[in-house]
Amino acid sequence: MARGPALSLSNVRVRYGDHLALDRLSVDVDRGEIVALLGPNGSGKSTTLAVAAGILDPVEGTVVAGGIRRQADPAGYAAQVGLVPQEPAVYDELTAEANLLFFGRLYGLGGYDLRCRVAVALDRVGLTARGQERVNTYSGGMKQRVNLAAALLHDPPLLLLDEPTASLDPKSRDALFADLHRLRDAGHAVLLTTHHLDEAETGCDRIVVLDRGRVAADGRPSDLVRYHSSGRAVLYGHLREPLPHFFVKGLRRRLGSTVEVEVTGRRLRLAADTQEHLGRALALVLTDGIVLDTFRTPPGRLESLLRNPTSEPQDAPTVS
Amino acid sequence: MRRRLNLILALAVKDWCQFLADKRGAALAFVVPVVLASAFGLIFARPADKTAVKLPLLVVIEDDGPFTRGVAERFAASERVEAEVVTRADAERRIADRRPGVAVVFPAGFERLKDWKPGSAADRPAVQVLHNPLCGSEGQWAAGLVSEAVMRKLADDKLTPLVGDAGLAMPFDVHTAEAAGSHAGFNAYAHSFSGMTLQYLLFWGMESGLLLLRDRQRSVWARMRAAPVPLGCVLLGKALSTAVIAFLIVGVTFGFGYLAFGVKVDGSVAGFVLLAVAASGLAAATGLLVAAVGGTEARARSVCILVILGVSMLGGLWLPAFVLPGWARDLSLALPTTWAMRGLDAVTWQGRGFWAVLPSVAVVAGFTAVFLTLAVARLVSSEARRRRGLA
Repeated sequence: MARGPALSLSNVRVRYGDHLALDRLSVDVDRGEIVALLGPNGSGKSTTLAVAAGILDPVEGTVVAGGIRRQADPAGYAAQVGLVPQEPAVYDELTAEANLLFFGRLYGLGGYDLRCRVAVALDRVGLTARGQERVNTYSGGMKQRVNLAAALLHDPPLLLLDEPTASLDPKSRDALFADLHRLRDAGHAVLLTTHHLDEAETGCDRIVVLDRGRVAADGRPSDLVRYHSSGRAVLYGHLREPLPHFFVKGLRRRLGSTVEVEVTGRRLRLAADTQEHLGRALALVLTDGIVLDTFRTPPGRLESLLRNPTSEPQDAPTVS
Repeated sequence: MRRRLNLILALAVKDWCQFLADKRGAALAFVVPVVLASAFGLIFARPADKTAVKLPLLVVIEDDGPFTRGVAERFAASERVEAEVVTRADAERRIADRRPGVAVVFPAGFERLKDWKPGSAADRPAVQVLHNPLCGSEGQWAAGLVSEAVMRKLADDKLTPLVGDAGLAMPFDVHTAEAAGSHAGFNAYAHSFSGMTLQYLLFWGMESGLLLLRDRQRSVWARMRAAPVPLGCVLLGKALSTAVIAFLIVGVTFGFGYLAFGVKVDGSVAGFVLLAVAASGLAAATGLLVAAVGGTEARARSVCILVILGVSMLGGLWLPAFVLPGWARDLSLALPTTWAMRGLDAVTWQGRGFWAVLPSVAVVAGFTAVFLTLAVARLVSSEARRRRGLA
């Protein structure tokens, strides 16, 4: 049994040409916890995940998973890690079973053991009945489940997910987080990236906020929320249909400067200084005929942290 | 080592599963070269009964003299031409349209030739041969035929009275025969099946390379890179899958050629198999090279089509290389297609033995090795740069 954290990144620096993408970043992920990497675009979330996955070499720093240094034993390190890319990383023209058999063989599995693992993986993601069907006949949520199953075949202690809910509807997203919670309870470590504060707050055990390649804050969601609560009222909704760009522009104009409107795919986020302003904004949205499948206002808010991470005091909470 | 072999095999099996997943697409990969080869063979095959080929041409008679008319009519009635007598204006218009591409004109004043005496050199009347710019060879052919016809007429008129009929017979015979080695089993389809199969193998290699290029831009490549799989295994797996399917394409195409058109391996079967393996390897190496230097898929496809068509034409895959100008024939020696084609010609209709095909196998295998080395070096370097965040 390997000792130490499932993943340990120490003083990692990554450059893309002249651009410093990660600047002496240090993050640990322990077994039995789900950690969300949060931050604005370009903050270094995906780069951190790529380094952790072993597909990007830092110019400085050490990367260790399950006690194995990436630089010293790349193959041993790879066996510790299961990567779930943002887009389903499976072959559409093959069946789910054929995909899993193939990816299992890449990790040196084979024979009866591999067939058993594939059956278990398909069962775990609820696809046993459709395992013989081609992936291109699956819904987006089902593809994402195959994507997850492919990363779990070799039973890696550390699971890395790059924006796993980006193309999922609320039901699939809840199912995915239920899977992740089960994996965490079974002792796996999970590191995921997300843009969505609500997911990070409610679905993860720890949040690491990145800004310009550095850790801006690191702690349990409740601690971060308490510390960083800004008093802004926020609403997260899931649109039944994506909104045309011009419609969003019109909505912003009518809501005025007191309310922020952000639409990403079918996700809607409204943020206002007061609950009253937020309530008015929601009423206007609904009277415009916009249909929300679900919406909620999270109990705490990391808005201010995510909006302006570098303005935070240096004594922001760390892992508790 | 065993683990690496298992990995290579797993990667190749995955590619074969992908190939077979689209059953119609897979079937077309075998049907297209068969159709192309059959069509080329049909167009360029010689008549099976080997009757003399007649040169279609027009005859213009602008001199009304009896000698001229006699020469022209005798020429037009020859078994070696398919002639039609027209006016000069008609001839010029029709030659422009290549209906047909050549005309022989007996101009006014040609009649003077009737007064020619052996030994006299003065006042030589002319016969004009007009041809379409694209029909130079037919023009030369017509010039030879009309010269023979005129000389025969002069010999009949001027020499028969001197030596009698017996003395004017041709004093020698001309025999024509095919010289294609000991077996001499020439079949026009053999060339088209060899050429079109080789050309299609290169296209198959290109498609395989484009698939790898596409995969490298998809998230599935991130999963591959995160797995404990050396890049060399990924590339060799791709090469193996491409080469095996290419080899099957050769088998199916020549099998169809044998059943439908009697295309046979009259020479060394072992040489044929070895050459097919080398050509399949060349297809795989070409694919990897495409993936290595291709940049974007659209760019790679365009450049590839240009290169493949160029090396096919210069390598004699469409038409025999002897129709090419001299400089092109010299240039074609630097192409693997030329050597592959020579080898296939040797073991099919030329009926040559194993040692005759070995130089072709060696050259094609050499090109395969060079292409593979370049592709692997480039892809390894590109992945290393990507891993360091430089690409």
